[in-house]
Amino acid sequence: MNKIKRLDCNLLERLLKDVEKPGRYINNEIGTRSKSPETIKDFYDIVFTALVFPDIYEVGMSNLGLQILYDIVNKHECFSAERVFSPWIDFEEKLRRQNVKIFSLENRIFLDSFDLIGFTVQHELLYTNVLNILDMGGININSRDRGNRFPLVCAGGPAIVNPQPFSKFMDFFVIGDGEEVVISILQRVKNYRDNNKDKQWFLKEISKLDGIYIPGFYKFYYYPDGRIKKIEPEKKVRKAVVKNLNKFEIVQDPIIPNIKAVHDRFAVEIMRGCGRGCRFCQAGIIYRPVRKREVKSLIRQSIAGIKKTGYDEISFLSLSSSDYREIKHLLDKIISSSKPGRLSVSMPSMRLDSLNLKLIELIQSGRRTGLTFAPEAGSQRMRDIINKNIEESEMLDCIKMAFSSGWERIKLYFMIGLPYEEDKDIHEIVVLIEKIIMAAKERLSKKKLPRLKINISINAFCPKPFTPFQWAAQDNTANLDSKFNYILKNVPKRYVNINWTDSRKSRIECALSRGNDMVGRVIEGAWKNGARFDNWTDFFKFQIWEEEFKKAGLDIGLFTTRNFLEDEILPWDIIDIGVSKEFLLKEYDRSKECLRNQDKI
Amino acid sequence: MTDQKNAYETRIRFKFYKKDEFKYLSHLDISRIMIRALSRAELEIRYNQGYNPKPKINFSPPTPLGVESMAEYADVLLDGDINENEFKTKVNLELKPQIQISEAKKITTKTDNLMNEVAIILYSFKLYACSSNNESLLKEFYAEVEENLTTKSDFSSSIFDLQITPGKRTSDIILLKLFGYAKIFKEENNEIFKFNSFYQFFGNWLRKYGIDIENVKKEELFVMRGSTLRTPIEVV
Repeated sequence: MNKIKRLDCNLLERLLKDVEKPGRYINNEIGTRSKSPETIKDFYDIVFTALVFPDIYEVGMSNLGLQILYDIVNKHECFSAERVFSPWIDFEEKLRRQNVKIFSLENRIFLDSFDLIGFTVQHELLYTNVLNILDMGGININSRDRGNRFPLVCAGGPAIVNPQPFSKFMDFFVIGDGEEVVISILQRVKNYRDNNKDKQWFLKEISKLDGIYIPGFYKFYYYPDGRIKKIEPEKKVRKAVVKNLNKFEIVQDPIIPNIKAVHDRFAVEIMRGCGRGCRFCQAGIIYRPVRKREVKSLIRQSIAGIKKTGYDEISFLSLSSSDYREIKHLLDKIISSSKPGRLSVSMPSMRLDSLNLKLIELIQSGRRTGLTFAPEAGSQRMRDIINKNIEESEMLDCIKMAFSSGWERIKLYFMIGLPYEEDKDIHEIVVLIEKIIMAAKERLSKKKLPRLKINISINAFCPKPFTPFQWAAQDNTANLDSKFNYILKNVPKRYVNINWTDSRKSRIECALSRGNDMVGRVIEGAWKNGARFDNWTDFFKFQIWEEEFKKAGLDIGLFTTRNFLEDEILPWDIIDIGVSKEFLLKEYDRSKECLRNQDKI
Repeated sequence: MTDQKNAYETRIRFKFYKKDEFKYLSHLDISRIMIRALSRAELEIRYNQGYNPKPKINFSPPTPLGVESMAEYADVLLDGDINENEFKTKVNLELKPQIQISEAKKITTKTDNLMNEVAIILYSFKLYACSSNNESLLKEFYAEVEENLTTKSDFSSSIFDLQITPGKRTSDIILLKLFGYAKIFKEENNEIFKFNSFYQFFGNWLRKYGIDIENVKKEELFVMRGSTLRTPIEVV
């Protein structure tokens, strides 16, 4: 094993001078659990893994998956996990200027001293941050150029379910649930290290595990037009699945960030997977099957967690919380476990209908933040096509009830550029917003009406791997912009605030998510030319990306505005996500049927 | 306003420090950390009645980011009859070593809000000068501190007093410990002493003599009682 090299504390002290939010880099939160040379006798026998979240501390610390893996690895006596986040621009500059490598928070171990580096990638626009972190650690970004046996570099998370665009950078990928496979991997890393085996042996060994994709073992053949001709070998990699969530208790003593994180609360996953089947939704497919936690132990562990952390807010997470059968029982028990008004409960992804509104009133007694609705589309026709199972009347009834009982802030999510979308569907978005304002005028008192705030968030549809719409073309940016401008122009200005994601950003996101292994060169080039934090509007530079696609001789349209052929080999076909391609295709056909049925009427 | 003793509630004023890495945490971070520690210690803070109920805990004026403090204060209203030593022990168990309560005392007299009442803040500056500096420049520095800094500079009105404690002389570094009382001129515009502008001014001023600020620490806070200065713990 390499000798572990660590950053000196006096140097850290000097580096932190005049840095924005230095609290991001100081560790020492309640709940940190890594092993330190002072407390562990066999410190240097331990396998060290860096859990890297390629975004800033405040975002990374809000990710439940990171806390779960941190907990599992550090509970094991032979393994240790330490956190690494993207330093903010100012700190990166300082580190680079002074030639200091990026280091972990816990023991300030330099990244290249770890045995294993694991990235959790939540979003395609974080790809450049991953490369940037490797580079700041003095590690070659390309897998094949990393001659040393250590560190090993891998990635997991929803943004790598199609591993191809990122395959040249990673030694291996972890597809699916991490809870069980992480320990299996670390055991093999230990064997590899302690018995001085060679890298091929190690990769062969882990390839036997579910969920491990090793790019080096596969070869892709292409047609001249850029489509895939053949993948060798054909055998698919099966996603790792934790069959029974109850086997893993919820993390009751998570790390409590010292500075304010984006989600500063006690987070509890009540259910994994979603049975709803919205045709655009990637999470809805890749986290299948639906697995729920048993309510009794959930209640016990949640109450214990609130006590242990001292948080005054708990958040129940899942993709569709209202589908958790005992949700009311759960809420009742949690709310009655603390003094009235002291604990607030939040539940994202709550389906809003009049039934659930009562539940929401219950949990938000005293603290009314706002209600969020995700109609996604303006017209019923469009909602049928995407299989978003909510009726306008149902939604409006719920909104009216909300206004009547005093809510003044509403947030609405829409998507534009959906398959088979027509101008009238865009117009219907405007009509729906008008109807909501009418309802507010009807239901809100004269005193309250001026405080009405409708926040509207509009996103461009981005077809994602493993969804029924994975074959669909993304709308071009000119169309998207004109659709958005139509909404902006026609929506009443008063009470309404509209947010819009840059359509060019969605285009790059789409190209990266549906890309093949040739896109890797583009990512590398973009990073070299300064792309990072691409998910931050202030930093996203379309030109860099456009330029790099051109340089690589790739048409962005090949991955975005093109309808993929139904019998085409897709870059992510090498992964078995648990849902068959036939099923997805059938669902895609059904969306077209909706269209035909409507035409008949 | 109930200032009578109530068997069912306890008002406590406590002093705590934040040092080492924790000097990089902001006032808001520190208050959040403290409230959660109290909650983990199963001490029930009273909440005010309102649209968004807030815990009844007030802190002394913020310490600038990057400055260690030995003198952070807070007043808290708790449910039940709590002994101050028990309070200190319980909460300290829930806090990291970098932030610990040093003193706690029940409030038995009428007190004003800490934020308003603090009159003077004592900062200490640890300075260093290379021994290669010429001796006459240092002499000039000593003279200037005593004559001009406290009386003629832009900040003379905010410097209450200066004491210089010469540090030990090592082979190549002379350490100086200088105490500066920095006053809040509240009487004028209720504005809190702008530490950062003073810090910048003082740093520039020192540079003329080849001296740098190595470390700043908030040492103590004082409130006025009659015409004397008292620490916040002394007056409750």
